[in-house]
Amino acid sequence: MRLKFREESFYSLLFLTPAIVLVGVFIYFAIVWNVYISFTDWKGLIPSYRFVGLENYRILFHDPVFWTSFKNNIILIILFVPGSLLLGLLLAVLLDRKIKFENGFRTIYALPFALSFVVTATLWAWMYDPSDGVLNTLFSILHLDFLKSNWITDPHVALYAVILALIWQFSGYTMVIYLAGIRSIPSEQYEAAIIDGASSAQLYRYVIIPQLKKPTLSAFVVLMVFSLKAFDFIWVLTSGGPGTSTFILAVEMYKETFAKTKFAYGASIATVLLLLSFAIVLPYLYWSYGGEKE
Amino acid sequence: MRTTRLILYIVLIFFMFIYLLPFWSAVTTSLKTGRQVTMTTPIQLVLPPYFGAYKTAFSELKRPILNSLLFTTFATIFSVMIGSITGYVLAKLLRESASKKLLMFITLGIFLPYQSILIPLLRIITKLGLYNTIPGMILTHTAYGVPITTLLFTNYYYEVPDELIEAAKVDGASPLKIYTSIVFPISIPAFVVTAIYQFTNIWNDYLFGVVLTRGEEAMPATVKLANLKGSFVANWNIQMAGALIVAIPTLFIMIALGKYLIRGYTSGAVKG
Repeated sequence: MRLKFREESFYSLLFLTPAIVLVGVFIYFAIVWNVYISFTDWKGLIPSYRFVGLENYRILFHDPVFWTSFKNNIILIILFVPGSLLLGLLLAVLLDRKIKFENGFRTIYALPFALSFVVTATLWAWMYDPSDGVLNTLFSILHLDFLKSNWITDPHVALYAVILALIWQFSGYTMVIYLAGIRSIPSEQYEAAIIDGASSAQLYRYVIIPQLKKPTLSAFVVLMVFSLKAFDFIWVLTSGGPGTSTFILAVEMYKETFAKTKFAYGASIATVLLLLSFAIVLPYLYWSYGGEKE
Repeated sequence: MRTTRLILYIVLIFFMFIYLLPFWSAVTTSLKTGRQVTMTTPIQLVLPPYFGAYKTAFSELKRPILNSLLFTTFATIFSVMIGSITGYVLAKLLRESASKKLLMFITLGIFLPYQSILIPLLRIITKLGLYNTIPGMILTHTAYGVPITTLLFTNYYYEVPDELIEAAKVDGASPLKIYTSIVFPISIPAFVVTAIYQFTNIWNDYLFGVVLTRGEEAMPATVKLANLKGSFVANWNIQMAGALIVAIPTLFIMIALGKYLIRGYTSGAVKG
């Protein structure tokens, strides 16, 4: 019996080693190292680890580009997160009505989410091209000229154009999450409500939507964290421009670090991003693993 | 009732057109000559199609696509294997309290903004001599794949009844033997879902590729596609052909194996 126990611990340890080493080094050690770099004066390609305390953060919080990026991040969150959730919910509710070709519709709506952001950014660069691009041409044909715009080349429009395209890409994901949520509601509840004479609007309002808290919360966290780390799509579509009109924190971090080789300064932006995402994720993880049992 | 059904379908088809518009205009544009791109609207399909843009785009992307296929395949295999054995230990060998803590320790990585590890990652990979190499890309994608693969497998193994394993334990089988003869065979569905999910994720990555590679030796297809945007600025036909070529593997997965990919999303998965 004693031997058995030791054999089991031995294998547990053996099997856990790769995951713990990889996560330990590439996540936890790297996070700590990054925070440490943010306290140094490392600039240029050769690492220098002279300690300068909070100097980078002092400069960062006085940097107008940082505050522009921060503001754009907030706008992104305010529009993109509810936009994707609501459109996904709408599509899920529409598809949940015994539709013919449901699989076909679902695949088409979810298609954008399966693609690389580099691919979708390339497609949307053509959509938004001001001279011969898809949207402006289409609006001309449909005599909707008032909808024409310079899109990503207009500093007042660019950020909203980016957000619109991101909602296009993510609403298929939220649809899938909501559809699974709706389908997991026990059918007795539907039947009870229908026997009580509920209309389908009432059925959704009082029976289905209140039970979608869990999928809403997990999609919410995913979308929030994405809004913080969003980089690929914006970088390929606008590189943060025109000017700094589509700068968000992740774009600023990349530009400072790899274009200007200000590594310590970039590390301080990265640390801010880390803290912001922890503020969202840690309560969620605590809620899903800690508090209540499944 | 009939009219509401009709309106429902009209709305669904309207959304379908919106979701497909970027793809449609990419397909039509990729099949035109440069002159046709300026002379016709992006909505029109010009016949007979011109394949020159695909030829140019493909010759640019050939090597990066091979790189991506190579490191995506290996990193998928490694991260899925590690996720499976880790999930087995967490769900079946450890006490619940220890398993929950370890699971939280590992899965925090799912929600990590990669910016916050990017500079140390570049240093680690460079120090190991793996900068701009395929093994460097495999190692990186394996490491950052482990949190999600572990979560997917652990959730799957929680559902496996303990009796199945207890019976084998009584017969004196070692945990390794139990894994290979019982756990592994029943987890084929989890392997399929997780592998498809990982393949899509790794294939689509841009950030690690752009930071950890420089030359054609290891550059991923996504990075090369982004570069094409700079070298073929106004050649929309070449850009669209390139985008569609890079999209093929994941489009294929969504269309042919979408069921599994969607199961990956709904089991608490994330992107990007």
